[in-house]
Amino acid sequence: MALPGMQRQEGVPEFKLVLIGDGGTGKTTFVKRHKSGEFEKAYEPTIGVEVHPLDFHTNYGALRFYCWDTAGQEKFGGLREGYYIHANCAIIMFDVTSRLTYKSVPVWHRDLTRVCENIPIVLCGNKVDSKNRQVKAKHVIFHRKKNLQYFEISARSNYQYEKPFVYLARKLVGDNSLTLVKAPALAPPDVVIDMEAQAKVEAELQQAVNAPLPDADDDELLE
Amino acid sequence: MTDFESVGKAFVGHYYKTFDAPGGRAQLGSLYQDTSMLTWEGQQMQGAQAIVQKLSSLPFQSCTHHVSTMDCQPSGQTGGIIVSVTGQLLVEGEQHPLKFSQVFQLMPSTPGNYFVLNDIFRLNYA
Repeated sequence: MALPGMQRQEGVPEFKLVLIGDGGTGKTTFVKRHKSGEFEKAYEPTIGVEVHPLDFHTNYGALRFYCWDTAGQEKFGGLREGYYIHANCAIIMFDVTSRLTYKSVPVWHRDLTRVCENIPIVLCGNKVDSKNRQVKAKHVIFHRKKNLQYFEISARSNYQYEKPFVYLARKLVGDNSLTLVKAPALAPPDVVIDMEAQAKVEAELQQAVNAPLPDADDDELLE
Repeated sequence: MTDFESVGKAFVGHYYKTFDAPGGRAQLGSLYQDTSMLTWEGQQMQGAQAIVQKLSSLPFQSCTHHVSTMDCQPSGQTGGIIVSVTGQLLVEGEQHPLKFSQVFQLMPSTPGNYFVLNDIFRLNYA
């Protein structure tokens, strides 16, 4: 959903994308990487939300995510229903350098799916460029229980920036072969990621797909 | 009769000054007692220890409260004071201030001193 006064483009499909996860996981950094979205963003003080229009150019033509980012309310408690309502898709973000933020993922997922029952959701582990990683890729299992897609990202280095959007676009359009025909203009990277080390992590993730899930249920994850 | 307005005003000034300083929230325990209750964005905590634990665990170092309105009333026969505050608060690292409202009930403890019996905090957004 666009905010009143936002310039909209005729005939371009639009989706409300809510960005959720603990404070400090990098949600705002992530959404600000997209240059035209950063230029056209607007703040709505009654809801306490900053909406960034993020345009992507696909083989289906242009599409736009209205990406909702909080003003930090999640640092005080859960978000209100008004933030989630009418969301078409969602990104749940945690910080791989903070176990606590991964432990909150089931809570965010519960709050989201109470309002939005059946929307495509991506789980993102951010800050994978960090040397101080606390949540190993093989320990990230929540998405497998709930049928979410998981991506390792690094907002500050732009690593896999477009992956969550392409996944959500595929689900929303209903075609898994959807691709970008033009890369989005992003702010230049602030850090450089060790691609060799990250390639190993991605290989581990691939292997984990075939491994059985541990017997713990979500309640244990919540502890 | 104690001047409830000036007690309320002094309390509010002290509370937010302490709250906003880095590490300050850990110092707020002396304002509460075991009978005190805090309702923080709908979550209830009873007792000074639980209350301070909640306030200390908020995931930011410091913030800035700007009080816009403050209303006080005397409460009950034992010299209590109700204080209602509205204002804005900006958390470190955030771009936009958030609107908040907070209600305190102060009760006399030792002569000339008060403690917070009730504390209800809400962010005001749709």
